[in-house]
Amino acid sequence: MGSKHTHRMHAAVAATALAVAAPAATAETRGYAISLIYTASYHSPENCPQGGNGGPKEMKTRILMSRGYSKEKALEVIANDDTDEKGNRIDFRTRGQIDGKPASVTTFPQSYPDPHIETAQGRFAYGFDLDGQAGPNSFEDPETHQQGVDNQMWRVLGCFANYWVRRPVIPYNESIVWDTAMDSMPAWLISISGEDLGKDGPVTVTFDRALNVLMRDAVGSVLPGSSYTIDDDPRSHSVFKGQIKNGVVTVEPASFFMQGESQFYALLRLSQAQVRIYLKPDGTVHAVLGGYQPWLDYYHYLAIRGEGDGLVDLPGVYNAMKRLADANPDPATGQNRDISAAYYIEAAPVFQTSLDGRVVSTAYIGERAPAKVVASE
Amino acid sequence: MSGAAKFLIAALVGVCTCVAAATDQSAPAAEPAGALYLVRLTPIQYERSIRDIFGSSIQIDVNRAAPGFRDEGLLALGSRRLTITSAEMQQYEKLAQDVATQVVQPNRRATLLGCKPASEKAADDKCAAAFLQKVGLYLFRRPLSADELQTFVATQTAAAQRFASFDAGVRAALARMLVTPEFLFRVELSEPDQGRAGTQRLDAYSTASRLSYFLWDSVPDADLFAAAESGKLLTQAGLEEQVRRMLLSPRVEGGLRAFFSDMLGFDGFATLSIDSTLYPRFTKNVLEDADEQTLRTIVEQLLVRNNDYGTLFTTRETFLTPSLAALYGVPLPRSQEMGGAVPWVPYTFAEGDPRVGILSQASFLSLNSHPGTSSPTLRGKAVREKLLCQKVPPPPGNVDFSLVQDLNNPNFKTARQRLTAHATEAMCAGCHKITDPMGLALENFDTASGFRTKERGEPIDASGSLNGKPFNGIVELAQVLKEQPSTTACVINRAYSYGTQRKPTVDERKWLTELQAQLGKDGVRWRDLMQRVTLGPDFFAVPSQATAEPATQAPTQTTAAQSE
Repeated sequence: MGSKHTHRMHAAVAATALAVAAPAATAETRGYAISLIYTASYHSPENCPQGGNGGPKEMKTRILMSRGYSKEKALEVIANDDTDEKGNRIDFRTRGQIDGKPASVTTFPQSYPDPHIETAQGRFAYGFDLDGQAGPNSFEDPETHQQGVDNQMWRVLGCFANYWVRRPVIPYNESIVWDTAMDSMPAWLISISGEDLGKDGPVTVTFDRALNVLMRDAVGSVLPGSSYTIDDDPRSHSVFKGQIKNGVVTVEPASFFMQGESQFYALLRLSQAQVRIYLKPDGTVHAVLGGYQPWLDYYHYLAIRGEGDGLVDLPGVYNAMKRLADANPDPATGQNRDISAAYYIEAAPVFQTSLDGRVVSTAYIGERAPAKVVASE
Repeated sequence: MSGAAKFLIAALVGVCTCVAAATDQSAPAAEPAGALYLVRLTPIQYERSIRDIFGSSIQIDVNRAAPGFRDEGLLALGSRRLTITSAEMQQYEKLAQDVATQVVQPNRRATLLGCKPASEKAADDKCAAAFLQKVGLYLFRRPLSADELQTFVATQTAAAQRFASFDAGVRAALARMLVTPEFLFRVELSEPDQGRAGTQRLDAYSTASRLSYFLWDSVPDADLFAAAESGKLLTQAGLEEQVRRMLLSPRVEGGLRAFFSDMLGFDGFATLSIDSTLYPRFTKNVLEDADEQTLRTIVEQLLVRNNDYGTLFTTRETFLTPSLAALYGVPLPRSQEMGGAVPWVPYTFAEGDPRVGILSQASFLSLNSHPGTSSPTLRGKAVREKLLCQKVPPPPGNVDFSLVQDLNNPNFKTARQRLTAHATEAMCAGCHKITDPMGLALENFDTASGFRTKERGEPIDASGSLNGKPFNGIVELAQVLKEQPSTTACVINRAYSYGTQRKPTVDERKWLTELQAQLGKDGVRWRDLMQRVTLGPDFFAVPSQATAEPATQAPTQTTAAQSE
């Protein structure tokens, strides 16, 4: 490190210590780094009365049976590494057709007939009442028991075996991708500001992207107490006004935008977004984030992974999303471009600093939280 | 070198036939001119020496030579009794081949060789001899004898002929030099001290080596060798000139680091285990950074700022990495590093923060803990033994630890409660009385060095006293320790023993007592201490067997029991 740089950093850190020690701060800001984000899944047996869509094996079986194979014969082909009795390997990805030629259903999901996947029924799904109306397509949130929850994304995905989980288990494909992204993607940050977060009152919730990747602790989770510099790119900066009551934060709807560098969450953008955050005594938080999301964004999450790793039937998902999308109609066609969705978030307490070295949020770690810092402007 | 000396050196590494072959075991054993001491290079000294001789770009594999054992609290003293096992010799063989191969690589050879061989495909004795003689001075830390040079040149000739390559010849000769005992051990030879009849002192080249490995933890440089060759180094004026020059060199940081790594027992990090399930914030990065944090703190305080040694216990200034900052629960603005080297950042803990001095750092707290729980006894013992140079007796063999180790007993939630109950047994009370008060003052830090105010819901009482001085918590303990005469005396004694790599004689202990009294008033500043020690009357003297008989305690040392 050059001496000039060292001097600059020294000055910044000295200022940090003073800021943390400020005794008469009028507000506090707690910082968090998202340690896990995944499609909010709440599986119940009654969700899929027809038995569900299964996974890749069931999908391939259905495709082969549609081509005249018996179920037994189809399973034989799949067991034989997708190779038929004549030794020909079946390429399921290029089962679509455009102008009579094979086409990838990943890139061109409309090149294959809609398989009409089973969509989730049932009573529960995570999320929020985004449109203020409770109707036959609404769910009940399993945590808050709020009625009128809009989560058509869950309806699309909820009958694939990959999503037949409940926390703390998370969809397998997403867990793999997130775990990989943790070591290479800039961290996603949350901060909560208020007069006294130990009491009820108004708060501000801010989402930012960091310039640094997540740091892991000795068991592979996010390292509590680690520090992150906030990227001042205004795109990935979403602010919500809200309230904290009994340790739970709720907010007024606003737009949410976060740029990632992950295979799955390359981009997460929601309109009319809401978030509900639970502050836990150990300093961590968990949260539900919901809103209307461009359904093609999510489709691309899955398409990038392909059917083998995404563990879904892509033409089926594409057509179901298109069919069940419930917001933002195209003025020309009337086709809804957004779909209601919800994500579950877990986050660890971390420090957040600005590019000039100011500490703008404090890690609330267990019994001894460092002194409060003044909330950032 | 005398025949007896050669024989002794060869016997030490007799496991390696190639080394034995390089020495003249058949030479008649003549009466040695003086005493002979062999001190094995530490792994760090090996690395530093190689890089100082052949350049910092030389890559050296991890040197897994055993650290040896402690004598009087220092590995340096134990290294006088170290030999080389056959497994270690195999490793040194490989290291030697690796280093020699790198030295003859074209980019380095052009700089290091200093001559152009007549042919790249044949031996060139003249060119090789010039090179081997030059590096031999640094590797053996004395000029090669004519016989030695001839031996290595012959190795070069044979290998070059066999492989039809000049480089192969030089490589073979150099690799052979790198596994000789004369390189792997510092060979200290004595001679009669002309100024003090009837006494022995180190000869000029041994004096140069002792000086450079003490102050720099590495080989002498050209100026120091020149002073040895001319004999100036054996004069008081010449010695003073060299010491002053060497203490102004940036290489003095290497000596400082080596001394404190030894004194503070940082070799313990090689086997340190902290339960990651219980303490997930104690990461692998923390393990790698912990001793470096303390060494950087020491370098900053003692070298850069020229502060008194006692400052190490009370300073709020240190250096942190992102991992250490997270462990300590403080923010550390980070630049955007994506897989690059983790930067060290200067950091000052705020007034009121409990992190003061090196006792609040992971290198002390975690190194002196059990894997799953803190240990006031281990920490207190470490303060007594490492920082006050006192001895704490080992526990008796039949002691019952069940009360101390039962962390689930609802009646004894804190370490103080468990130790108080344990110490009701008479055989335990004596020792715990001397270790625990200081260790309990550090109980606000858990095994992983994280801060806490409670243990299992019970508030921690961190009060105690040392020599009648009360304290409550680390900030006050640090101040009390800083003001203890034993603290100053300990580092002075340790530095002297480390430098001479032996226990002080009776006369030396008297001299050290005077030095302690003086520095107790003036403060212990590193360069000043090094100058006083190396210019002291006996630093390069070779005690006779009678006067070298060590006392069990250094001059102002007291036993722990006496001071509590």
